[in-house]
Amino acid sequence: MRFSVNGKTCLRWVAGLLSAFVFLSLPIASAAEKKVLRYAFRTAEDGFDPMKVYDRYSVGIIENIFEAPLTYDWLARPVKLIPQTVEAIPVPEDNGTRYTLRFKRGIYFADDPVFNGQRRELVAKDMEYSIRRFRDPANRSPYEWLFENKVLGLDELAEKAKKTGKFDYDTPVEGLKVLDKYTLQIKLKSPDYNFLYFLAMPNVVAVAREAIEKYKDDTMGHPVGTGPYMLKEWTRRSKIVLEKNPGYRGHVMSTEFADPNDPWDREAVKALAGKTLPLIDRVEIYPIEQEQPRYLAYINLEHDFLEETPFEFIEQVLPNGKLAPSLAKRNVSVFREEQMEFTYDLFNMDDPVLGGYSPDKIALRRAMVLAHDRGQEIDIIRRRQAIPAQSPVPPGVVGYDPKFNSSFYLDHNLARAKALLDMYGYVDRDGDGVREAPDGKPMVLTYKYNSGAQDQRQLAELWAKSLTEVGIKLDTVAVQFADMLKDKRVGKYQMASSAWIADYPDAQNFLQLYYGPNVEQSNEARFKLADYDKLYDKSLTLPDSPERNQVYREMNRLLLSYAPVRLGVHRIFSHLLYPWVKGYKKHPILFTSFRFLDVDTAAQKAATQ
Amino acid sequence: MLAYIVRRLWQMFPTLAGVVLLIFFLFNAVGGDPALVLAGKITNKEQIENIRKQLGVDQPYHVQLGYFAFEIATGFTCTYKSFTESKSPAPDAKGPAADAKAPEKKADNSTCQAVRSWATNEEVPKILTSRIGPTLTVMVPVLILETILGVILAIGVAYVRGTLTDRMIMMICTFAMSISFLVYIIVAQYYFGFKWGMFPVQGWTDSFWKNFTYYAPLPIMLAVFVGLAPALRLYRSFFLDEINHDYVRTARAKGLGEKTVMMKHVLRNAMIPILTNVGIALPGIFVGSFLLETFFSIPGLGREILVAVNRSDFPVIKAATVYLAMITMIINLAVDVAYKAVDPRVTFK
Repeated sequence: MRFSVNGKTCLRWVAGLLSAFVFLSLPIASAAEKKVLRYAFRTAEDGFDPMKVYDRYSVGIIENIFEAPLTYDWLARPVKLIPQTVEAIPVPEDNGTRYTLRFKRGIYFADDPVFNGQRRELVAKDMEYSIRRFRDPANRSPYEWLFENKVLGLDELAEKAKKTGKFDYDTPVEGLKVLDKYTLQIKLKSPDYNFLYFLAMPNVVAVAREAIEKYKDDTMGHPVGTGPYMLKEWTRRSKIVLEKNPGYRGHVMSTEFADPNDPWDREAVKALAGKTLPLIDRVEIYPIEQEQPRYLAYINLEHDFLEETPFEFIEQVLPNGKLAPSLAKRNVSVFREEQMEFTYDLFNMDDPVLGGYSPDKIALRRAMVLAHDRGQEIDIIRRRQAIPAQSPVPPGVVGYDPKFNSSFYLDHNLARAKALLDMYGYVDRDGDGVREAPDGKPMVLTYKYNSGAQDQRQLAELWAKSLTEVGIKLDTVAVQFADMLKDKRVGKYQMASSAWIADYPDAQNFLQLYYGPNVEQSNEARFKLADYDKLYDKSLTLPDSPERNQVYREMNRLLLSYAPVRLGVHRIFSHLLYPWVKGYKKHPILFTSFRFLDVDTAAQKAATQ
Repeated sequence: MLAYIVRRLWQMFPTLAGVVLLIFFLFNAVGGDPALVLAGKITNKEQIENIRKQLGVDQPYHVQLGYFAFEIATGFTCTYKSFTESKSPAPDAKGPAADAKAPEKKADNSTCQAVRSWATNEEVPKILTSRIGPTLTVMVPVLILETILGVILAIGVAYVRGTLTDRMIMMICTFAMSISFLVYIIVAQYYFGFKWGMFPVQGWTDSFWKNFTYYAPLPIMLAVFVGLAPALRLYRSFFLDEINHDYVRTARAKGLGEKTVMMKHVLRNAMIPILTNVGIALPGIFVGSFLLETFFSIPGLGREILVAVNRSDFPVIKAATVYLAMITMIINLAVDVAYKAVDPRVTFK
């Protein structure tokens, strides 16, 4: 048999082969163009069961896999609640004791073998089940406090579970009523106008009961949610890979509250407005605990952005407050964020030397606060990456008063500190340069700090140095993190360092740190003042209003007067971005931003190759 | 020899019991309250108590010790509730009751499960097995290179003992040993990894070959460099000890060349203390270097233990410690047996 090939046939063959090649290479090409974002977490994650974890990095992943009923508008500042899985923000009923959640139809959980190939819709029962999980003692939920002494009938169920060893998920509870397939009514024991913020917390999300029951031995490693991403790969404490959830309905970034004068908002609007999010196909996250490799991995183009630039590298990144020329040349941009948090030093109010409410003890604490050189703390230890706190309430939080000025109480003033000490009998009687207590007994104070943090040691040294200048001897003691927690909880300290990050953006979350009944919980200063507690109780019954803000102001004044703590700073973090990361803005409450980001893959490829 | 090995294996049990007791009392005496670490930011006394109850740390020490022994023996843990009260000692009981001889209880194995991390709920045996690979990828080449280079350089230095070269090398070794490992890591990562781009700054993948050829070389190089100075000094002293013995003089008197004397006679005899030293270092390769692993993002055991310590994750810490103790004992036995291969004069009694 002869096989002849003329020119036309040859051309057809070539065209055919080319078409086949193009066709075959299409999926490869599209796979190659997947938008991938790589970055690092500062600390290793624990897992992804929303009710079982509280570390911010685990929660950061959870907020992308699951969805809370409410969330925050991405661009609005101050922060603003918006509905996420519910149709509208529930209106507080019965003086803030009843909330009705109407879930949107057509929200589905990500595909999982547990659903046997069926699409599984999110219903009100899922949220009801999830809230119950917070109170199941077997879960030892770190966020149990959200629903403790809060929802009618739920405490009784938890009590019963402690006795029987089994939590009842099926007995109806008065405070959690599923009115229909998509409606859940939550009844509270007492008014709480901040309850809506609870419904926006990344842990307060709907989980599917069948998924929890199927993966009961490892719910941390099998998150099944309705959010924009799915857990694709997880090498514990080493690598987390998220991929777009193909069943996700998509969301669009609202531009309603964008600030036209804010360049970040303008960029975000330009990059993302009108687009169905998320845009990034795959997110690779690497927990790197050490600051140098985390920083170098970014500078070396191994990562696309760097959140919370390590303070020890801040002079290299922002010499004299300006972006370093080497970074500017690479079109790196820096997002500066005042986080909703504050640092403080505790005085143990139960301590016989330092604590108490008598004028001499108050004078001693206030003198120590005045002796502390906060300017040095900010300039040297914090490398000018902090602003002085005027109250425990950070900027951006509901109830923050920008006019509230406490410099009279807090600013470094050695003369006033010495005068206060002299006036109340804290004088140097034996001429050794160290003041004694008013009763003549020697006075040596101790300051405990976390041994695992370099800046903590420096802060302790600054305290010792500051107090030496007014004639008070202070010993500093480094203790391990776990011991520090215990000592602060049970009041086994005189002075200790501490910090608080907002759980929700209301001043109440910060002011509860000094509420009397919270002693041995979050009130580590063990501050018990009836006037303060009354004001706190009153604030709970009030919605956000000028009246409530006035109550908060009075509480802040009491704190400054009695000085159960030395207010420290609100830290400023710098986030670095390469130019191919589009639409970046850091939300003060939400932990991660990648579901609101885009990546210019061509620019990324060109730079990294 | 078999009788010797069997006897040594038997001796491991009381040693292990001692290690277990030591770990148990150390953690209870100096360890923080794990319930507080796990509890979160806002918790009350009752919740803390609930967590302590679930972890079993509210139990009397002897019962906790029983749990611990049971976990080591079986790799399983049983919650307090899974032990049903029994008036008479159960002959088949293998749980804490049997070990602690405290209130007699019987293990209900149906509710027992593999020991898990308190922080992540991951099975502890799985943690150990999954983290050992990256650790060994780095540490095995380190030990091999360090030993081979140490022996070669030491024999060379011993050969030129007393010369300027010998003195210079010893001085460099002393200088190198006086600098912290952390400084080497920070400087090398910055210059070799970032500035000169000779190695990746950090990272790890699922591919052994990529890890071995791309991510591991810098950490290996660093560990070898840092370990070489003390090894070289030590091995040199072993060789010098042997060089001064009568048999070496006799060999020389017989007219053997210096090279033959060193390689055939001195080396062989110096291998016994060298082997002992390698034996001592060997268990260390199974836990890795937490500094290397944290700085180079190697998901190994050292890093895992460090995270566990920071979070008071006792099941992981205890398992790793017991595992290291067992490995140390087994390696010691293997080294003792290896003496025979190196020196036929060694006899087992």
